[in-house]
Amino acid sequence: MNRKKLKLISFSLIAIVVLFLAIGQALPAGNGKAGFNTVHAVGADDAPAVGEKKKLIMGTSPDYPPYENVDAKNNGEIIGLDIDIAKYITSRLGYELEIASTDFNGLIASLQTGRVDFVMSAMSATDERRQSVDFSDIYYVARNTIVSKKSEPLETLESLSGKLVGAQLGSTQDLFAETIEGAKVKKLNKIPDLIQELNSGRIDAAIVEDAVAIEMTNGNPDLVMNFLPADSDENGYAIAFPKQSAIVGEFNSVLAEMSEKGKLDDIVQKWFPSEEVQASKRLNIDFSVLKGYIPFILKGVYVTLLFTLVSALFGLVWGSILSLFKISGIKPLEWFATAYTSVFRGTPLLVQLTLIYYATPQLIHYEIPALMAAGLTFGLNSAAYLSETIRGGIMAVDKGQREAAIALGVPYRKMMVRIIFPQALRTILPALVNECVALLKESSLVSVIGVTELMRRADVVRSDTFRSFEVLLFVAAIYYVLVLILTSFARMLERRLRRSD
Amino acid sequence: MIKVTDLTKTFGKNQVLKGISTTVERGEVVALIGPSGSGKSTFLRCLNLLETPTSGAITIDGTAITDPKTDIARVRQRIGMVFQHFHLFPHMTVLDNITFAPTQVKGMPLEEARAKAKELLARVGLSDKADSYPSRLSGGQKQRVAIARSLAMEPDIMLFDEPTSALDPEMVKEVLNVIRSLADSGMTMLIVTHEMKFAREAADTIYFMDDGKLVERTKPEQFFDKPQSERAARFLEQVL
Repeated sequence: MNRKKLKLISFSLIAIVVLFLAIGQALPAGNGKAGFNTVHAVGADDAPAVGEKKKLIMGTSPDYPPYENVDAKNNGEIIGLDIDIAKYITSRLGYELEIASTDFNGLIASLQTGRVDFVMSAMSATDERRQSVDFSDIYYVARNTIVSKKSEPLETLESLSGKLVGAQLGSTQDLFAETIEGAKVKKLNKIPDLIQELNSGRIDAAIVEDAVAIEMTNGNPDLVMNFLPADSDENGYAIAFPKQSAIVGEFNSVLAEMSEKGKLDDIVQKWFPSEEVQASKRLNIDFSVLKGYIPFILKGVYVTLLFTLVSALFGLVWGSILSLFKISGIKPLEWFATAYTSVFRGTPLLVQLTLIYYATPQLIHYEIPALMAAGLTFGLNSAAYLSETIRGGIMAVDKGQREAAIALGVPYRKMMVRIIFPQALRTILPALVNECVALLKESSLVSVIGVTELMRRADVVRSDTFRSFEVLLFVAAIYYVLVLILTSFARMLERRLRRSD
Repeated sequence: MIKVTDLTKTFGKNQVLKGISTTVERGEVVALIGPSGSGKSTFLRCLNLLETPTSGAITIDGTAITDPKTDIARVRQRIGMVFQHFHLFPHMTVLDNITFAPTQVKGMPLEEARAKAKELLARVGLSDKADSYPSRLSGGQKQRVAIARSLAMEPDIMLFDEPTSALDPEMVKEVLNVIRSLADSGMTMLIVTHEMKFAREAADTIYFMDDGKLVERTKPEQFFDKPQSERAARFLEQVL
């Protein structure tokens, strides 16, 4: 009988591998949705013959207009000052440019793990970063700016003493804010978070750079900004490369040429209009800011659903196998399944996600696509929980069912699949639905590795509009509707399963 | 022919079977009776290895089923078993319950299995219940379906483990009638039962078990009229 169990197990493992290969195959076609944009940098006169072009992958965190943001109102392409410069340089050098979007905090890791060839993301060439990566010459110097409420304006560095000051985690302003005498610093992940904290009075001021400050005050008429003098090259933006990258020199020579010909200034002018249109006084909640963004957000529903489906299916199959391990009576399998459950239940999902996404390329030299890494992690994690649920369901099936099947000569696999599982399923269906609902909502976590599902798209729109409530309420409503649909499906399924009562 | 040699079974420290040896001939109908805890059910369950014997040997038509090299699933296909609590598959209709094993285990074509199942349902008097789910049946009906399910595998031997003990009194008869007609057809059967009248009428041989041992093995008339052991006499006094 044990040989039959092993056969069942190996069969299921093969099924999972095939499932993932299939997803892997299916993904590149959908990569535009999953965080990659290929930009064909043609148009330059000296482009080499098509087909011989080498591809360079650029990493960026497209939530920082006007340097880089997702053009959500049009086709979701990543645009901005940095992108224009990158396109220009790569086309001059005869490369094809591909853009990979990642959270800002993950950019350096992407460089180190070889996921991207260079990074342009309004990144300052700080000494700290120089220890991990190489930088090009500086292509733009930004000014630090204090943004505060109009009602309690803070204009100088001195006035910040004793105040709580917000900055984006890992940004140059974060480092700068640390040096302000007497001020306490609160670090937040995203610029839109800073605005919310300001509006709700949890911080007194935010330190951001000039371009961001302009957009912030445009979107939020209650805020004012005060530029601080540009201190030095400390704040200058540069292109980051992996250590000992061979292409730094080429990039620097093109940058020098652009600066000489005034091309750099042209691009900066294009993205920094000298006079911003003053925004009209807005209501606190105004859904009209979502106009034009809605199709972009709705496309995230597909990614979210695909992700939920893949991770739920994988979790169910793998969880079933683990539950079989646990009741197999074969000690090593039992130990494995128990240890597995313990580890995956005992560590945060976010940690697992980040580890799998960044460690896979280094360990097995496979560039795991973000959506697949996310599906894999969530499947592995969910399997740990489900294996316990399923084990409980199997144990709850009357022992006599097994004996009746054995007495009829039914082999182990058929007995489990046709007799035991269908009955266990009835017991555990409510728990399974809970797990699916949890997966659907937790899928918002995967935006940290750049999967452009619903939440990521909401973040993009937040950073675009500098308004938060509208888009957050909108995606919350979408999640809620999705969960409602899911649970009503489950009710139908349950009724079907109960027809034998 | 079933040959049992010095069979023992121990659960933990509790020896339930203490060395049983016997032979059941082809076509023989055996009624196993005795006080509860005497090991009747365990003995029966050893015959298709639902319980693994601790020691001893069981041979069925020359095949040593206690030999680890024997393909036990094949042997089980030839031995039908009916349980006290029926154990019908609740998520399948009556017809699917009966066709499941022939189609899935023997690879019988579905049409053939269905035709055969309907024949069997007619035999146990439940033709009108083919598409019902088990939850819609009475206990007696469930047990008759369970018998049909076992018969669908065309077994050479049938084991009945207290087939009427879980039934309401008015349903006992319908099940016993089915078993009796099966006995009359020449099937080799072992029946654990508390129905003394039935045992006397239907069985060829009575096995009286007590405390893990086969105490008496005689013809029904002799057992019920002139029990040899004092233990059997006392048992009969209590139940009759």
